[in-house]
Amino acid sequence: MSTSMKGMKPTTHDNALQGPVGWGLLVIAAVVLLASLGYVLAQLMANGHTAFNTSSVLPWGQPIATYVYFALASSGLGLVASLPLVFGFKAYYPLAKRCIFLAFALLISGMGVLALELGHPFRMLWVIPTNLQVQSAMFWMGVFYSLDLLFLLWKFGKLQGGHWDSKTARQVGIASFIGVLLASGNLALIFGMMSMRPFWFDALLPVYFYATGITSGVAVLILLTYLAYGFRRERMPEALQRLMSGALPRLFAALVGATLLFIVVRAITGLYSNNPEVNLVWSEYLLESGLYLTTLVVGLLLPFVLLLGGLRNRPGIQVLTALLVSLAMFAERFYFVVGGQVIPLFKGTWEPNLIAYTPSATEWALTLVGVSLCLVLFLLGEKFLNLGDMPPQIAQAPASASAGTA
Amino acid sequence: MAKWGMVIDLDKCTGCQACTTACSMENNTLPGETWQDVLYYNAGENPSGQMKWLPRPCMQCENPSCVHVCPTRATYKDPDAGGIVFVDWNKCIGCKYCMIACPYGVRFYADEKPLIEPDIRDVFPGENGQLWSPPYQNPEEDWRRGIGIQPAGVVSKCTFCYHKVRHAPEGVADLDEDNPEVKEYVPACVRTCAPKARYFGDLDNPESQVNQLIGDKHGVRLKDHTGNKPQVYYLGAGAGIPAFTPADRENDA
Repeated sequence: MSTSMKGMKPTTHDNALQGPVGWGLLVIAAVVLLASLGYVLAQLMANGHTAFNTSSVLPWGQPIATYVYFALASSGLGLVASLPLVFGFKAYYPLAKRCIFLAFALLISGMGVLALELGHPFRMLWVIPTNLQVQSAMFWMGVFYSLDLLFLLWKFGKLQGGHWDSKTARQVGIASFIGVLLASGNLALIFGMMSMRPFWFDALLPVYFYATGITSGVAVLILLTYLAYGFRRERMPEALQRLMSGALPRLFAALVGATLLFIVVRAITGLYSNNPEVNLVWSEYLLESGLYLTTLVVGLLLPFVLLLGGLRNRPGIQVLTALLVSLAMFAERFYFVVGGQVIPLFKGTWEPNLIAYTPSATEWALTLVGVSLCLVLFLLGEKFLNLGDMPPQIAQAPASASAGTA
Repeated sequence: MAKWGMVIDLDKCTGCQACTTACSMENNTLPGETWQDVLYYNAGENPSGQMKWLPRPCMQCENPSCVHVCPTRATYKDPDAGGIVFVDWNKCIGCKYCMIACPYGVRFYADEKPLIEPDIRDVFPGENGQLWSPPYQNPEEDWRRGIGIQPAGVVSKCTFCYHKVRHAPEGVADLDEDNPEVKEYVPACVRTCAPKARYFGDLDNPESQVNQLIGDKHGVRLKDHTGNKPQVYYLGAGAGIPAFTPADRENDA
């Protein structure tokens, strides 16, 4: 690691999280993780899944939405990492290692949340491999996300060893890229293939998941990259500064715009349709919800406007928009997962209205488990694994060499 | 082997819910875990408004989407058991994907908030791995088929009372509660139906009464557009469920 960093300017070592601040944040994150995990485990042991507010008429709630959020943000970062490692967009090298590690941390956190949502997580470990139900998209989700995790670790190992451009590193990078596409595309199809749930039923849902997964991943990445350098861009390595004031904010603006476009066309299609299982989700649930509208306007539209002009290069704007978009994308996952279930399958006395669902304290705590676990892993990574590392030729290259490759 | 099917004549059904009660007594289901229930709803507007109801067991589909999505083969269609769809409680991981994929809403994850208080699970706490243990229980427990009282963290559903049906003599065309020879093998909801709105028999047997009724009286399958091909057929007016409208919006138009 230190050999590959040789010759870099001293500012590159200004990682705020490698000092006492890092330890402080790590302790806080670890305490939050232990407290939230302890609360969730205590609730699950005492009350089982009655501690959740999900029910037989709305079986998938916030824990599933949290898993989807983490898994897709992870996949998004996997795809961003492949920009330099597979497709040769050299400007992104300064974030490649952090991308891959963060993708790993997010995926582990998502899987942890999912495990606590399941009725029998340990049984899963042996019944899925021994029964090989290849018809089930969820079987393939297990296969592809396991492969994804494996490739992420392998690829990170290569970068950790300083192999940025070796043949194997490239091959592992390509395998990882394909793994990410399969995993997140397949996660989309878990919802998209459900013709009996018309709000989700969509052959092109993988495209929506790829695009919005990258959006949420990049938002988290920007936020945590700034955290790593104490929210001061001048402490970042020069190549990273160039990326953060050039290609990345432009990409981020385009991604937020694409996300808005996806939501708008889904909304128009839904509102136009006579089918109540789509139409009423939009007209009576999503657009009736002040919180949902707020997340759209404040969490996506406002950041998009801020990112459109010259303001997007200002560190404060980047941190603010990244924070807002991270939160809005979580809301988007929540409303997507819950929205597919709020219309009762049958009109009738037992369910006269839309099915109501508000997450319980345990479900919120489980979300907090995911967030804090991800932070703990990230802080450990920043502290011990030099996530800001990049190939020496990139670190030393003059500004003109890597510009315009976005 | 038979292919067990059910016919429900909606012109005879009075919506009395005896089937619902018999089912929950027979299968020891929890309040809200209604493997068999009756939906009530209004259709149309005055002066032609109608009060309708629809009994709803598991449809034991020929092409069951719940079986396709299950990642562990815990839910399966057993051709050697008349094509009944079962849940193997030893394999179910409680992912609830089958509940998402079932178009009929007849799968239950009983590890949820109680429908009514006091929580009957607290009154009869579970023993030997059961979610709850009431003093009377179906003695023919079979977790591989989801029969009996389930453990925590798994999905449960109607089994067409397989613990009764499986004792029926080989080759029998219909299980009719009026036939003393077979009445003990008739599913609880069918046997208890006072207006005799329910029929149970072998859909593969051309001589069966269920086949004659479906043919003669225009049997239809619920939500047939889903392609799941239920083994439950409805006769008479009423199987066409109106599109969902929130109750608090019905008078807005």
